[in-house]
Amino acid sequence: MTKEQEGALSGYCVLDLTDSNGAYCTKLLADLGADVIKIERPEGDPGRGIPPFAGDTPHPEKSLHFLHRNANKRGVTLKLDTVEGSNILKRLVKTADVMVDNSPPDYMAGLGLDYSVLSEINPGLIMASITEFGHTGPYKEYKGSNLVDFAMSGIMITSGYPGKEPCLLPGSPAYDSASVHASVSIVAALYMRGTTGQGQYIDTSVHVTSRTGLYPWIIPNYSYALNPGGPPPTSENRMGAQIYPVYPCKDGFIRIIALTPRQWDALMRVLDNPDVLQTEEWRSFMYRIGNADDLYALMLEFTTKYTMRELFEAGRREGVPIAPILSIADFYNSPQTKAREYFVEVDHPVAGKADYPGPPYKWTETPATVRRPAPCLGEHNEEVYCQELGLSTDDLASLTGGGIV
Amino acid sequence: MLPLENIKILSFGTGGVVPDAGKIFGELGADVIKIEAKDNLDFMRTIGPDINNIGQFNETNRSKRSFGVNLKTEKGRDIVSQLVKIADILAENFRGGVMKSLGFDYGNVRKLNPQIIYISSQGFGSGGPYSEYQAYGPMLSAASGVLSIWAQPDDPYPVGSNAPYPDHMASKHVVIAAIAALDYRRRTGKAQFIDMAQTEVAASLAGEYYLDYTFNKRIPKPMGNRSLYAAPHGCYPCKGTDEWCAIAVFTDEEWQSLCNAIGNPAWTSDPRFSDLLGRLENIDELDKKVGEWTSTLDTNVVMETLQAAGIAAGVVQRATDTLADPQLKWDGAIIELDHAVSGKRLYPGVPFRMSGTSPLKSTPAPLLGEHTEEICHDLLKMPDDEIKQLLEEDVLYNPENAKGAGGGMFG
Repeated sequence: MTKEQEGALSGYCVLDLTDSNGAYCTKLLADLGADVIKIERPEGDPGRGIPPFAGDTPHPEKSLHFLHRNANKRGVTLKLDTVEGSNILKRLVKTADVMVDNSPPDYMAGLGLDYSVLSEINPGLIMASITEFGHTGPYKEYKGSNLVDFAMSGIMITSGYPGKEPCLLPGSPAYDSASVHASVSIVAALYMRGTTGQGQYIDTSVHVTSRTGLYPWIIPNYSYALNPGGPPPTSENRMGAQIYPVYPCKDGFIRIIALTPRQWDALMRVLDNPDVLQTEEWRSFMYRIGNADDLYALMLEFTTKYTMRELFEAGRREGVPIAPILSIADFYNSPQTKAREYFVEVDHPVAGKADYPGPPYKWTETPATVRRPAPCLGEHNEEVYCQELGLSTDDLASLTGGGIV
Repeated sequence: MLPLENIKILSFGTGGVVPDAGKIFGELGADVIKIEAKDNLDFMRTIGPDINNIGQFNETNRSKRSFGVNLKTEKGRDIVSQLVKIADILAENFRGGVMKSLGFDYGNVRKLNPQIIYISSQGFGSGGPYSEYQAYGPMLSAASGVLSIWAQPDDPYPVGSNAPYPDHMASKHVVIAAIAALDYRRRTGKAQFIDMAQTEVAASLAGEYYLDYTFNKRIPKPMGNRSLYAAPHGCYPCKGTDEWCAIAVFTDEEWQSLCNAIGNPAWTSDPRFSDLLGRLENIDELDKKVGEWTSTLDTNVVMETLQAAGIAAGVVQRATDTLADPQLKWDGAIIELDHAVSGKRLYPGVPFRMSGTSPLKSTPAPLLGEHTEEICHDLLKMPDDEIKQLLEEDVLYNPENAKGAGGGMFG
């Protein structure tokens, strides 16, 4: 193995108590070089059961969701709701910089592991808590899910084909919105600790963050358009097809972003100036939104003369953004993706070798990349508990035998 | 104390990503200076008739100062160079190649200030054939592959949303990267350049779909609201027009709770629905039956009935639902700010609490050029008559001499 290059967060240790819903938060830190130790219950994070699986065979080391979101982390097992288990966590806390958990309200406090206890052990500790709806408040006991939290975020009503059921954005958008905000506050707290030497407690929820992470404009749009008795703002309807229309072409579909008259004129040049669209009214964005069905019927004849790539390149040349609607495979194979070496080959001892999406940025001094695969269940128990924490192999064996590890 | 106190950030931002990142930097205590020009406006200032009175712009550009300057003039570029020399971070998301043409690419900026952290967030990222393509969020959800699966299986084609996804997620990645780089600089003295691709942010957030291709050679297809391991799992129509409640039932225990909560009508005892596998196999009929129950009820009644029974359920919220949401009220999640032109309007507040900092606050978005004079005066120590002269020459802009700009989208 080549010597690992330092990451921007190298040297920091993060204790990761999250399940699949918070895994993206700590992945962001791990991608930047932090030593993230994923702490799972002995029977494993339920996220290991999320389909689909590598090779389509259900297996705790082969969930694709788990493999992606836990790459770059180490993994240990620990039963926190035992005296021995929580004592081991407290020993880990002594030398940790950050701890992240997404357990339900009062769970950590119930175990005697709330911030007031842990910060006594390590005043520099930064502890971030992600709950579904908050530690307090009327929805505190509400149950969330990716779909349900997305529904409540304000973006879902705008999402999907006009007139149909609102449609979920693929991935874990609501949870990931909480994750990115938790990461923002964690790095801010780390930076601040450089001056003060003090850690702090960070509290956020999926319910609150999904508003600012996915569609922060729904409230200001409403507030700016508020006009007693008037119609609701258009941004609350499923307008994706009207505002950023999609048209078929020779080999797929393209999306056109023509907002200004200048962009519309450029689009006309791309399509070789169709006579039928050369009237002044079509230059108006609002007119095009109001007559999207008519426009679609007229546009078909012209867009279908070209391939996705021809339109993408012609849009660039003439000054109107046009995007091909690529499949997942098309993106993987795109020359831009290849040129940037976005995908990184990773070899997992059980799931095998495959290309993984990398971190979405290139760094000149501290490369962000996929350095190691997601941990197998308990893979680093010995490394962390014996070599680093100083337990004997006998101690570890008895903890393992007792179901603590 | 605030986390980014004493940090100066220059924002060459347009649209969503870098302006939204700037908002967060500002909320964390940094002095964020938005470099703006009158004749080459941030796109978001042009989507309404008045550049200073646009909801989306005024949301995204909170908590920063505006420095109006004509970058087409040598004098203007010289003044910005002085700001570069005292900045900690430069963030930009202009079209690829634009910063170079202005003389503010990383190579030049580093010569002015070797300690600066420079983060560039482009649609497709630098270094490939598409690096100079202009890009908007809805284009990037398309070009990343995510839009291809953001649909119901029977839609004629995917349309996603009119929200500019992934802009507001990419912006948080900008903030994380920039602060991590700042911390690395604090620890080692080394500054650096970060080159982000927004398509890659969209892909990173949906990584498992790409692994389905690289591991299983399968090209993922849209599934709408359906799940491989939950049923019912969808949005169900409620009383009223276009009113929906999302429901997600994972386990058989939850299913039994749902049946009890809705009074055990005869159809719920259909043995085909008794376990998850059966519910997944008969999902169309199940959805129809659940939808018949929800369609006579208000969205909140469906949510509250099911949540009381321990089932994940939530209203597909519009702004009015969000404003009435008792949990968001409890959290103070929506705040009111008084903007100089737009007046008192509502915005989402800072969505996390930090116990060791002073309260994190948002301030209203600046007018174009609102802080030009104070920045020249306080940071650059320019004499008043020079500032006045540069305003007269249209090298600098303040709200008075920037009047009449804009109107691009509807003009």
